[in-house]
Amino acid sequence: MTGLPATWPGRRTASLVYVRDLFRELIGRDMKLRYKRSVAGVAWTLLNPLAELGILFLIFGVVLPLDIPDYPAFLFTGILAYGWFQNSLHFATNAVVGNRELVRQPGFPILILPVVTVSTNLIHFLLALPILFALLFYSRIPITWAVIGLPLIIVLQFLFTLGLAYLVATFHVRFRDTQYLLRVLLQLTFYLTPVFYEPTAIPERYQILYRLNPMVFLVDGYRAVLIRGEFPRPGYTVITTLVAGAVLLAGLHVFRLASQRFVDEL
Amino acid sequence: MTDAIIVQNLSKRFRRYRPDRPWTLQEAVLGGLRRLRPLEEFWGLRDVSFTVPVGHVLGIVGANGSGKSTLLRLIGGVGRPDSGTVKLNGRIGALLDLGAGFHPDLTGRENVFVAGVVAGLTRRDVVERFDSIVAFAELEAFIDDPLRTYSTGMQMRLAFAVAVHVDPEILLIDEVLSVGDLGFQRKCLDRIADFKAHGCSILLVSHEASLVRELADEVLWLNGGRLVLRGKAAVVVDKYVDHVSAGAVQAGEGWNQASPLPAPAPISTGHSSPVPKMIASENRFGSLELEITGVRLVNGEGRPIDEFRSGNPLRVEIDFRAPRRILAPIFQVYIFRDDDMVCCDLNTEGTELKAAQVEGSGRVSLCLERFDLKGGRYYVDVGCYAQNWAYAYDYHSDLYPLPITGEGVETHPDPPHHWEISAGLRARPAVSELQPAGRRRIWRLV
Repeated sequence: MTGLPATWPGRRTASLVYVRDLFRELIGRDMKLRYKRSVAGVAWTLLNPLAELGILFLIFGVVLPLDIPDYPAFLFTGILAYGWFQNSLHFATNAVVGNRELVRQPGFPILILPVVTVSTNLIHFLLALPILFALLFYSRIPITWAVIGLPLIIVLQFLFTLGLAYLVATFHVRFRDTQYLLRVLLQLTFYLTPVFYEPTAIPERYQILYRLNPMVFLVDGYRAVLIRGEFPRPGYTVITTLVAGAVLLAGLHVFRLASQRFVDEL
Repeated sequence: MTDAIIVQNLSKRFRRYRPDRPWTLQEAVLGGLRRLRPLEEFWGLRDVSFTVPVGHVLGIVGANGSGKSTLLRLIGGVGRPDSGTVKLNGRIGALLDLGAGFHPDLTGRENVFVAGVVAGLTRRDVVERFDSIVAFAELEAFIDDPLRTYSTGMQMRLAFAVAVHVDPEILLIDEVLSVGDLGFQRKCLDRIADFKAHGCSILLVSHEASLVRELADEVLWLNGGRLVLRGKAAVVVDKYVDHVSAGAVQAGEGWNQASPLPAPAPISTGHSSPVPKMIASENRFGSLELEITGVRLVNGEGRPIDEFRSGNPLRVEIDFRAPRRILAPIFQVYIFRDDDMVCCDLNTEGTELKAAQVEGSGRVSLCLERFDLKGGRYYVDVGCYAQNWAYAYDYHSDLYPLPITGEGVETHPDPPHHWEISAGLRARPAVSELQPAGRRRIWRLV
């Protein structure tokens, strides 16, 4: 027999190598499955946001012009960031419910499931980034040193989205119409996030409330480091980090508490 | 010898919900939150304790819904018990849900990697074992086809092949040995024997009595979430098969209800009789609603015996104490040879106890007018069971040695005997008492 006498449950104390491999296989499975039977394959990852770019540009660039400089690059930044957020939460409803047999596997670290969902969508986000850079190049926007702030913003968005993903996944186990409710909420937050408009368009007296939404900071943050060539404001960054951290802790806590009942509820 | 698995007082409560329990938020809001509450609760598993030494195979038998799968899952760390603990020493592998992580749209190769990692292997492990896994499943020609093109048998073979390549130190098996054709089944059984030979401890759940008999060292019989009997494989399996074929399972309906039982007292304390090293869940188990407080082996004159001479009378005296009234308990005496062969198996079914109630202290004696086992080393086990063998109140295993000298027979299934129920026992006819007893009586008359 191989293996040292590990303490129970064996795999929770298992090596980082194991967790890495598990993570890799589950993400690989998700990626393969999403495009396995489609002709265009991973191209869908790019076609979707491009189509959205076309539609929004038609409306707010041509029909009702908002007069924002470098509008295609501006729009596409918002679309990619919000798309990652939206898709992560959408797929998070199925993170637990759709993996019944994994949840029932002895020693399987259930905590990893929402992480896999958010990471898979991060990969789609990263795959579409070259198009964004092409748009920046086309609009003759120079890449400045501020671009080193990009990973920080990505990490922040990852943590914030993960926190919500834990909540969504937990809730969907109990109430199977969470995904429909979520769709409505995501539509609402689409308008509460500056995807196609400038955050300054919101009236002054609502600004503080409005900016508490971390997505406002995040979308604007991408534009700051990529388009405007400046770092996000430190104070605002700290506040958003705190909010995202609190959401993540809350999500983790709720998920852990509820996960003991997952097996019985599935 | 160290124990691979230590289970102590494990209990799991389940909730039964209304059939129209809302599964969506919309229904919950419209239908009122009342319906969210469970209708009733019942014990899926109640106070189960046992240990499995390293390298042993423990079989688990019982009817559907008796808690077998729940027990395996709790041991696997899936779900949380409502009370009790599980301790494991070693890397755990499970054949519970075969093919966890399998997806029909992925190829066999891709599925082996996902399932292997989900089952606890690293990618390197899977790469190393890949050829062996595919060869075991006999699917070399199809491994790069999508899983959906496989037959069910082929899928199960692949799943099983992955599962047996995890090299566990503790293996949980739930009803999965009926995979594939006979040749493949043989291969699986050989593999399991191989695991055992390498010191792997195995928990085996199966409905196939012969399989459990063949593979297990010891067997645990569960009913309604309670431990009925635990002991040598042959004994328990036979008893279980008898029980099932006698149709007694139906008679025991209502076992699942969470009955208002007192919590069992700690098994090692408050025990006055000079019983040698009684250890909970090792050589003693049961709910202890009725406690066996003393056991004596005496000769015809009532004197304790050190050595029994074949052909003489033998009495087994069982003292008991029942803090609360108990209806129709069954007392049982087993006599084993030291190689675990059952030589004699007698119980009080068919005596006046069948329709009696006991409360307080009392004594039940088995009087063998003449006992003719041939010389050797024997053990006496005594037990007391709830009505219809529903579960054990108290069972003492391997505690009372009985050396025998002289000539006699190998087994003595029905020696001349009678039961004496005496010394303070308040046995009353059941008909004047509780309703259920009355109903029983009427039923028996019809």
